[in-house]
Amino acid sequence: MHSWAGPRSWPRHVVVALTVALFLAPGLFVVWRALRLGASIGDTLGELRGPAWRSAQLAVLVSVTAALLGTLLAWLITCTDLPGRRIWSVVLVFPLALPSFVGTTGVLAGFTPGGVLASLWELFGATPPRRIRGLLPAWLLLSAFSYPFVLLPVAARLRTLRRAFDDSARMLGASSFEIFVRITLPQVRSAITGGTLIVALYMLSEFGAVQLLGFDTLTRVIYATRQVDRPTSFMAAAILFVSSIAVVTLVRSTQGQVATETSASSRAGEPVRLGRLTPVALIPCVVAVAVGVVAPLWSLITLAQRGVSDGRVALDGLTDPLINTGSMAVTSALITLAVVLPIAISGVRHRDITGRIGAIAVVAGFALPAIVIALAIAVLTLNTPLLDRLYQTLPLLVIAYVVHFGSQALGCVEQGVRSVSTSLLDSATLLEPSRWRRMLHIELPLMRHGLFAGGGLVMLAVIKELPATLLLAPIGFRTLSTEVWASFEEGFLADAAVASLALLLVSGALTWLLVLRESPSRGR
Amino acid sequence: MVSATVAVVNRRLLLTSSVFLVAGLFGASCSEDKPDLTIYSGRTDDLIGPLLKDFTEATGIKVEVKYGQSPDLALLIDEEAEAGKVSADLFISQSPGAMGYLEDRDRLQTMPASALDLVPVGVRDDDNHWVGLTGRQRVLVYNTNSIDASTLPTSVFGLTDAAWSGKIGVAPGNGSFQDFVTAMRVTEGEAETAAFLEGLAANDPVTYENNNAIVEAVARGEVEVGLVNHYYNYRRLVELPSSPTANHVFDEGDPGALLIITGVAAIEGSNGGDKAMELVKWLLGPQAQEYFANETFEYPLANGTSPSGEIPAIGFSDVGGIDFADLGAGVERTRQMITDAGLSG
Repeated sequence: MHSWAGPRSWPRHVVVALTVALFLAPGLFVVWRALRLGASIGDTLGELRGPAWRSAQLAVLVSVTAALLGTLLAWLITCTDLPGRRIWSVVLVFPLALPSFVGTTGVLAGFTPGGVLASLWELFGATPPRRIRGLLPAWLLLSAFSYPFVLLPVAARLRTLRRAFDDSARMLGASSFEIFVRITLPQVRSAITGGTLIVALYMLSEFGAVQLLGFDTLTRVIYATRQVDRPTSFMAAAILFVSSIAVVTLVRSTQGQVATETSASSRAGEPVRLGRLTPVALIPCVVAVAVGVVAPLWSLITLAQRGVSDGRVALDGLTDPLINTGSMAVTSALITLAVVLPIAISGVRHRDITGRIGAIAVVAGFALPAIVIALAIAVLTLNTPLLDRLYQTLPLLVIAYVVHFGSQALGCVEQGVRSVSTSLLDSATLLEPSRWRRMLHIELPLMRHGLFAGGGLVMLAVIKELPATLLLAPIGFRTLSTEVWASFEEGFLADAAVASLALLLVSGALTWLLVLRESPSRGR
Repeated sequence: MVSATVAVVNRRLLLTSSVFLVAGLFGASCSEDKPDLTIYSGRTDDLIGPLLKDFTEATGIKVEVKYGQSPDLALLIDEEAEAGKVSADLFISQSPGAMGYLEDRDRLQTMPASALDLVPVGVRDDDNHWVGLTGRQRVLVYNTNSIDASTLPTSVFGLTDAAWSGKIGVAPGNGSFQDFVTAMRVTEGEAETAAFLEGLAANDPVTYENNNAIVEAVARGEVEVGLVNHYYNYRRLVELPSSPTANHVFDEGDPGALLIITGVAAIEGSNGGDKAMELVKWLLGPQAQEYFANETFEYPLANGTSPSGEIPAIGFSDVGGIDFADLGAGVERTRQMITDAGLSG
């Protein structure tokens, strides 16, 4: 037993157990409701089989694509001499800042006759596609919107990797490609798996894009039946919850244990020279940014411009939502990190059953659509004495964000925990007996890349979150995403575009200020 | 050195987040003191916000609003009532379905005649639980580049003709489509409705989530026509005057020309009382009804009001004397019929 595990581990078990209860509560509520409403799998299976199959298809295709694209891009911006990689590392995260329905609307608008994408198509002499619907566009668009879930943790991991092996291998005559496959890849494997899992779960709960692209998944069934046929709705949600638990358990158990660092000296090596391959390396960057950032942004700016120039849109109403959005995002990110850290430490260092269950519970919180989580939390709070005081308060909204988005932080935080070497912890224990000071002065600083990446993901997710915000926020609490929704819903396109741009601005500013500025490439 | 960097980082992080926290708390504490009325509104801020501001200025009654989608708010109101913690005084619904859900579950108060009598009998609840605010007519939106208006059918039943195969956009999962089908069941009977749905499904319609998506798809040329509520296209023409889209209204009395009612109701167990009714009456007064007519392109329902000049006038007799209370009830059966016909959603 390592000395840093501490002689008393029960406080850790209690903390983790409480966290597990919090994260599993909505899912268990859904299962209980489904049973109580008398939903039977037999009755609904006929209706749910098709959507379930489509959900699975989307989850597999998009997560694999995002894994490949995200890993490649992460490697390009951290390990190579790609031109402008500082800028790429900011811009490539941007697709995460767009609510998927905004991004999809932007792309669809681009295909309207005369739109930027339709014109581009015609430029190459092709007829623009008449129907943008179904699996193929959903696959491509959602991959372009979700690869940053892989990019961020992998880049965070790559930044802390020791390059000593690379240098040795290079001296022994290995090519850059060989080094990447045989040395780098195994070390970032857990980061890739973690990010990919998030993408897969995100696809299971995704609603905004699939509904616009007419791809009939389980989430659409949940939405369409939520009031008119509650048993079916809850049954579909229960199926999502159970299958996501299964997927997470499977992935987690097949995932080889990755040892923590043995030495803390992460030394930046020489970046890989791309040379003649530079133009080729720029292609995925340009494509990703074109689909995930430029196309939606172009449409938004066009719409906003038209509205502002003929005076239909007033900008002054956005101040309150702007402040609300920013403060909720930062607060929720910090609290999420605090909640998830004990689980990450349990899972990575202690590798006991507590840690494993904790990790599974946290990740499963992301597979249920936000509307389901929100309603579950509302009902649970309303009917629990004492807790009911939290109903429609900001703390409850933060709790909902933590439950729904904790999984997004977990993978990155685990990477952070891994980057603290065990030998260093042992020495630290000798020199600094106080556990808290050790955490504050030694461990947290070493984990910072993972923490910033994880916190950044939560921040971006909170900024664009809608269903839980609408249902659980204090009455009258407006955020940028509720503004975007209100205008989009009724076709006030110019207002919606202006609010979307404000939302992007907040996301961009916060990401840059709190996450990306700390990238260690500055130290090079 | 590492810890020095991190100290800087931590300080900046702390500073930024505390600024946001303080700003957030400040913002929250700055909001108005205890409001007199709490409204749950499925009608979004863009469609009612300015009106409520005017109401408070005119009467001194402070209101707070929770916006959301009508079905979600209906579910929330139901759960709150179930837990004995009613928080909404009034519910403003975009769809009769959500209103009917709450009525079925006995969550609505009976309205006084002074409010009910402001609108014609056809556009309020038979059991006096809700009153209509505005109407939205079901129409066929079409692409003006690819469709000659004279070729459009005079009845919604014309869409089952094989000539329309692959050209129609529908939103079978959307409340407004379900309301339309429920109304058809009431006026034309179950067998006729089932046959219509099957005929429509046989024409391989393209399905969308909501009216807006259909209007966009028609503009894009993805489909040639679509079954929608009338005002989305008017809204779109304000945003994009060059949009190649127009509304086609089916013949008088056709189930395809149904007028869908958005309504307001007081929640059982709430204590909005007279103030709540004051707001209801104000929303049915001339200023609010004119706003609905001219700003949101809906049909005002209060006695003696008329729609905006750009919109074709309709009499309430046009909707065929349908009992709108039936639209709320039986939605589950409607959905079943839609699904059985092979229209997903």
